Amino acid sequence: MRTALVGLLAAVAVAGLAGVQLLVGSTLDAGTALAALAGRADALTTAIVLDLRAPRVLIGLAAGACLGVAGAVLQGVLRNPMAAPEVTGVGSGAMLGSVVATVVGGDVASPAGTAAVALAGGTLGGAALWALAARSGGDPMRLVVLGVLVSAVLGGTTLVLLTARPQLTGSMTRWLVGSLNGRGWEHWAALWPALAVSLVAGLLLAGVLGLLSVDDDHARALGLAVSRWRSVVLLVAVVATAASVAAAGLLAFVGLLAPHAARAVAGSDHRVLLPLAALTGAGTVAAADVAAQLLTAAVPGDAGRIGVPAGAVTAVFGAAVLIGIVRRRSRATVEGTG
Amino acid sequence: MTTPLRADGVRVRFGTRTVLDRVDLAVAPGEWLALVGRNGCGKTTLLRVLAGLHRPDAGRALLDGRPVLDLPRRQVARGLAVLPQALPAVGALTVRRLVAQGRYAVRGPLGMLGGGVDDAVETALDDCGVRRFGDAPVDRLSGGERQRVRLALALAQDAPVLLLDEPTTFLDVRHQLEVLDLVRRLAAERSLTVVSVLHDLAHAARCADRVVALREGRVHADGPPAEVIDERLLREVFGVVGRVHADRSGGRLGVSYDEPAAPP
Repeated sequence: MRTALVGLLAAVAVAGLAGVQLLVGSTLDAGTALAALAGRADALTTAIVLDLRAPRVLIGLAAGACLGVAGAVLQGVLRNPMAAPEVTGVGSGAMLGSVVATVVGGDVASPAGTAAVALAGGTLGGAALWALAARSGGDPMRLVVLGVLVSAVLGGTTLVLLTARPQLTGSMTRWLVGSLNGRGWEHWAALWPALAVSLVAGLLLAGVLGLLSVDDDHARALGLAVSRWRSVVLLVAVVATAASVAAAGLLAFVGLLAPHAARAVAGSDHRVLLPLAALTGAGTVAAADVAAQLLTAAVPGDAGRIGVPAGAVTAVFGAAVLIGIVRRRSRATVEGTG
Repeated sequence: MTTPLRADGVRVRFGTRTVLDRVDLAVAPGEWLALVGRNGCGKTTLLRVLAGLHRPDAGRALLDGRPVLDLPRRQVARGLAVLPQALPAVGALTVRRLVAQGRYAVRGPLGMLGGGVDDAVETALDDCGVRRFGDAPVDRLSGGERQRVRLALALAQDAPVLLLDEPTTFLDVRHQLEVLDLVRRLAAERSLTVVSVLHDLAHAARCADRVVALREGRVHADGPPAEVIDERLLREVFGVVGRVHADRSGGRLGVSYDEPAAPP
């Protein structure tokens, strides 16, 4: 009951944020934007609302939802509350893939092509982490350390590519920071199917995830072919991450914090947790983009022209929230043992 | 009748140490077989090999005549249920949802979409007397309650063979007896075959139809408790000087431990 209520409130909040994004901006006032939505505005105004703002809003929501799903799945299957796309090598692999696609150019650099190469990169990152982690058992702490190392290697490779093609650096930093600037319907077309597939697959696999999130031996004893199903479940997280990164770059901390917040309400039932994490992720990115646009409007000069990336907001805000969580946790631990 | 479970020349090494050395064992349908022996004698490893959770270096385990490692995991879990020594941390999972995970073998991945709670789960909760904690988080329960929840989880699998690894660890004497009596009653009601690792010979004497004593990775003694459990076994297998006596009614064996035996 409480979960349903929170879910409803979250949905309303996300819808509200999306409405704000759609109607409020520097070029048009809300009334004009509404008129455009109703089909009672000139061609330019309609184009601004329907072809610039609308895809940006939808891509932000879907990219955030993908990260929420990916984080929730990773935290469950790796049995680690600190697991997230950006600390498992999956996110930086997808980032490397996106940059490779841009460097190759041509059809490969199209939104769908970028998503495909990002998928390959994300799979590579996840597989590298798993290969390293399998040798050292499933120890959560070690997994995080290995994930950071894999991410560092892939991130470093990305930077090498960026410096090798200085003329593309400007357009490619988006993958590193995460931004919704300049995203259109063609990016949306490559993103929503991945969100639909990963969310549905995640829900269908909720029972499997429940077993995997307890313990390998436990799951095996209850009849689960553990390594096969773990690969399937990890693939769901990779698909969601890759699509999100290919569309909007690596939006930091969304995939870590959205599932955290959802888990606080939904507990460990993945049938509830996954949709709620998707909703929380969508809301986080929408809010971050609103903040980014406000900052853009407030900052004079070049920043105003280029646009503050939403990923910069999630990075700063996410780090602050994470520090808060860690402080509260360590205090709880001290009190718990005292 | 066929043998539901057997070990065929099972050999397991951990590094240079041989834990099981060509162990042959055939479990008869409907019996309660107790594996006893010192710490590190290979009891738990043998149980894990029988359950298909550990791949032996040589030999194999057979479930209904077929190599357990060749069978799909779900089919194995429909044939046997395992109660490991300790329950892993299950977080905030409620009793009912944990027990419902036992239905995976029967229902499959898509069958778990509704959560898996069905009549078999409720029956298992009832049979183990934990239905009234159904909606409580598992980590709030006491040790004895938790042990009964784990038993319910194993029963929810509806498998004809039950493998128990030290089902009485961490329990006080009263709860030890309660759990063992519960297993014995349910095994009779559901015609289960039980293989259990037991530390306490008195427990083995009380519950088991057959005692298999392992020593240094081999079967040292095998037979009904009254024939197998004696002072020599205490000395040779457990390294203690003690006494074994029939109680006054003659039905049960009593075991008392006096002191560690001098090393041979």
